[in-house]
Amino acid sequence: MTTSTPSLKVLAGTAAGLAVLAGATACAPAKQGSPTAEVSPTGGGSSAAAAPATPGHYKDGTYSADGHYTSPNGEETVGVTLTLASGKVSDVQITTHPTSANTQLFQGRFAGGIKDLVVGKSVDELDVTRVAGSSLTSGGFKDAVEAIKKQAS
Amino acid sequence: MTGTLEFDAIGTRWWIRAGGLSEELAARVRERIEEFDGAWSRFRADSLVSRWAADWDDRVPGERTLALPAEAAPLGRLYRELHELTEGSVTPFLGDSLVRLGYDASYSLVPHGPAIPAPAWGTEARWEGSTITASAPVLLDIGAAGKGLLVDLVCGILSEAGLPEFLVDAGGDLRHHGPGAERIALESPFDSSRAIGVVALRSSALAASGTSRRAWGDGLHHVLDGLTGEPVRRVVASWVLAPEAMLADGLATALFFVPGAELETRYGVEWLSVHSDGHAEGSAYFLEGLF
Repeated sequence: MTTSTPSLKVLAGTAAGLAVLAGATACAPAKQGSPTAEVSPTGGGSSAAAAPATPGHYKDGTYSADGHYTSPNGEETVGVTLTLASGKVSDVQITTHPTSANTQLFQGRFAGGIKDLVVGKSVDELDVTRVAGSSLTSGGFKDAVEAIKKQAS
Repeated sequence: MTGTLEFDAIGTRWWIRAGGLSEELAARVRERIEEFDGAWSRFRADSLVSRWAADWDDRVPGERTLALPAEAAPLGRLYRELHELTEGSVTPFLGDSLVRLGYDASYSLVPHGPAIPAPAWGTEARWEGSTITASAPVLLDIGAAGKGLLVDLVCGILSEAGLPEFLVDAGGDLRHHGPGAERIALESPFDSSRAIGVVALRSSALAASGTSRRAWGDGLHHVLDGLTGEPVRRVVASWVLAPEAMLADGLATALFFVPGAELETRYGVEWLSVHSDGHAEGSAYFLEGLF
């Protein structure tokens, strides 16, 4: 897909800009993932597939790409569709795929995945009934650990 | 009327909220927990499993059997599955390995000697139905799924009494029954005053397993690999949401050894594991709930 080479630069740049914006509005994530973009020509762009591109000049057509970034809610994806006419951008459409924890909390099943870094919030600030954690200990064990620490110091 | 019951038992803090919880019902719950502890706890010298291991007479050769209470049958079946699934890493015959590292009845927390692997399932010890058979002294440890089983037994008492809504929390392992969903925080393995996310719990069980709380100096904690007797390193915390607490508890332990996707495929459960470098892997149910 030779047409995707020049358009990739445009769209990856756009997606990266969006990722930074989205990251900023989502309350400063602890770790910003590297935005990546995959592009595929849609509509008219594909018909001009074999034409060589010159720097700074892009084939007319419609191009789509998905940008990926890491927000505090995990991996987020934003879709960008861009239309070029006479070498100029004639239309840009942004498609967001919100994955807010709150909206999904009571909904069904989604594909699994990975989050680069877990972020902690103070339990006192949360409106929750209980905390699920690693075998809360009572009495004896904690006392024993304290005793060991004293011996070691 | 919604009553809340709090008490310490089996080495952890219990919290039970139930509409229509009477004094009589609360007493029955406490009795059932005491009965369970009396059979299964390796932290009590007078328990069934402790006495069986301690009273072993080496002068009499041959295999020995231990008859356990009826609740042993489903627990044994789950352990057998977990043992296969983890290729031997999860095993109920881990008591002596834990004692070796200092996680003993008196919480000495001082290792005496190198780690020892658990007796091999089949040749040295086996669990069939509610009977344990062994050719040498074996100290049972049902830490991987026993607490979950007890939560299920307690919930069974509340259900049989006709209670329409309840939430049982056994030190961070929970089971809920009722129409409304509860919001449950996921304790951070790096700071117990913080949570890394919130998930909904409704008429199902949520079990957690982690290496941070029951830990004592120099990389020692209570989640051991039965193959080596050494503490596990990469996963530091895990959660599983399942219909019942015993399954959730056992699979949360298995997550230290088996990719969650495998458990999801086999059991249809939701899962989350947090690794020592701070990254998390999980089903979307949990990932969506992370901050």
